[in-house]
Amino acid sequence: MRKYAVIYKATLMENMQYALNIALGFISYFMMIFVFINLWDYIYSDSSQLIAGYNKEQMIWYIIITEMIWFGTRSATITREVANDIKSGQIAYGINKPYHYTFYILAKYFGEISIRLILYISLAVIVGVSFVGGLSNFRILYLPAIIVVLILGIIINAILKLSISLISFWIEDSNPFQWLYDKLILVIGTIFPVEIFPRWAQPIIRCTPIYVVVYGPAKLIVDFSMEMFFRVLATQLIYLGIAIVIMLFLYKKGVKKVNVNGG
Amino acid sequence: MYAIEVNGLSKNFKVKIKEKGFKGSLKSIIKPEYKTIRAVDNISFAVEEGEILAFIGPNGAGKSTTIKMLTGILYPQSGGVSVLGIDPTKKRKQLAYNIGTVFGQKEQLWTHLTPYDNFKFFGAIYDLSAKEVEFRIDELRTTFELDEFINIPVRNLSLGQRIRCEIVASLIHKPKVLFLDEPTIGLDPVVKENVRKLIKQMNKELNTTIFLTSHDIGDIEKLCKRIIIVNQGQIVLDDSMENIKYHYLNKKIVEIKLKEEVEWPVEEGITIIKSKGCNAKLEVDTTVKKISDAIKWIDADNIEDITISNVPLEKIITEIYKNVEMRT
Repeated sequence: MRKYAVIYKATLMENMQYALNIALGFISYFMMIFVFINLWDYIYSDSSQLIAGYNKEQMIWYIIITEMIWFGTRSATITREVANDIKSGQIAYGINKPYHYTFYILAKYFGEISIRLILYISLAVIVGVSFVGGLSNFRILYLPAIIVVLILGIIINAILKLSISLISFWIEDSNPFQWLYDKLILVIGTIFPVEIFPRWAQPIIRCTPIYVVVYGPAKLIVDFSMEMFFRVLATQLIYLGIAIVIMLFLYKKGVKKVNVNGG
Repeated sequence: MYAIEVNGLSKNFKVKIKEKGFKGSLKSIIKPEYKTIRAVDNISFAVEEGEILAFIGPNGAGKSTTIKMLTGILYPQSGGVSVLGIDPTKKRKQLAYNIGTVFGQKEQLWTHLTPYDNFKFFGAIYDLSAKEVEFRIDELRTTFELDEFINIPVRNLSLGQRIRCEIVASLIHKPKVLFLDEPTIGLDPVVKENVRKLIKQMNKELNTTIFLTSHDIGDIEKLCKRIIIVNQGQIVLDDSMENIKYHYLNKKIVEIKLKEEVEWPVEEGITIIKSKGCNAKLEVDTTVKKISDAIKWIDADNIEDITISNVPLEKIITEIYKNVEMRT
C-alpha cells in the first residue's frame, strides 16, 4: 500500500502547481449552475411546491452537488491517457515495475483530482449558500456518512472508467464507450434526480452505476436518512467488488495482447 | 550459473495492412487484413552471471522485442525465458524487484520532481525502507557524481545528467541484472565515456549482469566481452569480442604517405581503397598476403609516413549485417 501512497503523494505535489488552472474551470461550473437555478426558478411556482418529491431548494442543491462531482473528478488520466498508452504501446514502460498498473493509474488519478475536488467542494458550498441558502434538512452529524459514500462513489466511477479504457486492448478506440458512459451518468443522475424519470424506469436506473456514483451521495446530502445511507452503502460495496473484478480481469487478459514494435 | 537463459524464443506481431486511398480505408473497415511479422524467430542463448553482453543488430532486428520479453513486458509466442531463475511471463512482479531497466529513448523519471525525490519515490516502489533508500542514494550520488544537480527538478537537467539519474533510478534497488536499451543515445562523447565508465565500475564492484543493446560501437567495444548479433529476428553471430576480432580482423588497413609518386601495385590480396598523389589507403587481406609482402615493393627511403591498423569494428559489424541480408 505504501508504494501507492507514494505515487498519490508525488502526483498531488505535481498538481498543486496547477491550482490556478483548476480555478479557470470554475467558469463552466458556475454557468451550468446559473442556467439550472433559473430553470428550476421558472418551473417551481413557489418554494414549497414538490416536484418528484423535491422542493426547489433540494432540487437546486442536488444539481450543485452532482455537477461538483462531475467537474471535480474529471481527468484524462484514467480515460484518454490509458487508452493512448495501450494503443501506442507506451503501457510497456509502466508495467515492468513492481506495482499493479491499474492501481498505479488509480493512485495517480486520485493524486490528480484531490486538490480539484476540494476546490470544487468549496465552490459548491459557496454557490449553494449564496444563491439558494443552507439546506434545511442537513445536519453536520451526517457528514461522516456522506463523505464515505461520496468517496466510494468516486472510486467506483474511476474503476469503471478505467475498465472501459482497458477495452483498448481489443478495439482501436474506447472513447465512444467512454462517451456513452459519461452521457448516461450526466443526463440520468447528474442533471436530474432519478425520481424525475417514469416510475417503470426508476428500478432499472437504480441498478446502474448512476445510483452509486452520483444519485446516492447527492440524495443523501439533500435528504439524509439512515435507511437510505445503508442501502446506498451496501449497493456501493457490491458495485465496488464487481468493478474491481472486471478491471483486474480485463487487465489480466489484455496485458497479454500488448504490442510494442520497435525500440 | 546463468543469469539469463533463452530457449527457442519467438514473437510474432499482427499488423493491420491497408490499401492506399479512401477505397482502401473503407475496405479495411469492412474486411480488415492483417500481416504477421516474425519479430523474434526461435532464438536461444544464455548469459553468465556478471557478464556484460552486447545484443546488437540493425533497426527492426528484434533487439528491443527480445528485451521486452526478458523483462516480462511482452508475452512470447513460443519458447522459454528464465531470468535469475524466474519466468517473466508468470512472475513479472517478482522479477521486477531483481532487475533494472533503462530505455535510452523513454523517460522513467518524474520530471517535476528532483532526482533526490525521484530516487526516494523509486525506493518506495521497490519496498525499500526510508533508511535503506537514504543509504543507497548516498552511495550512488558519489559514484555517479550527482551532488551538483540532485536537488534540481529533472525537467531542468541536461540530457547527460538525466541519463545518469535514469541509471541511478534503475539501480536504487540493487538489481542483479540490468537491461540497457541504447543508454548513450544522444549523449556527447564526454558524457558517453562517463556513462560507460560507470557501467563498467558497477559491473566490477557489484557483479551486476548487464544486457546492452546499442548502435554505438564505442559502447560495445569498451564495455562488452561478448556480442550477439541479431538480424531479422534470428541470431546471426554469438561470439566473444576477442574471437570476432581474431576472425574478422584478417584484413589490415595500410595508410601510406610517400615522398614521390609511384605506381600502386595490382596484386591479389591488396585492394586500393583510396589513392591520390603520394597518398594511398590499401586494404590487405592477410590470409592471402602478409603485410610485410604487401609493402616490401616500396623503397624504404621513399616512405614519409606509414600506419597499419585493424579494420574498425563498425565496418566488421556492418559487413556481418550485409552478409546476412545478402544470404536471405
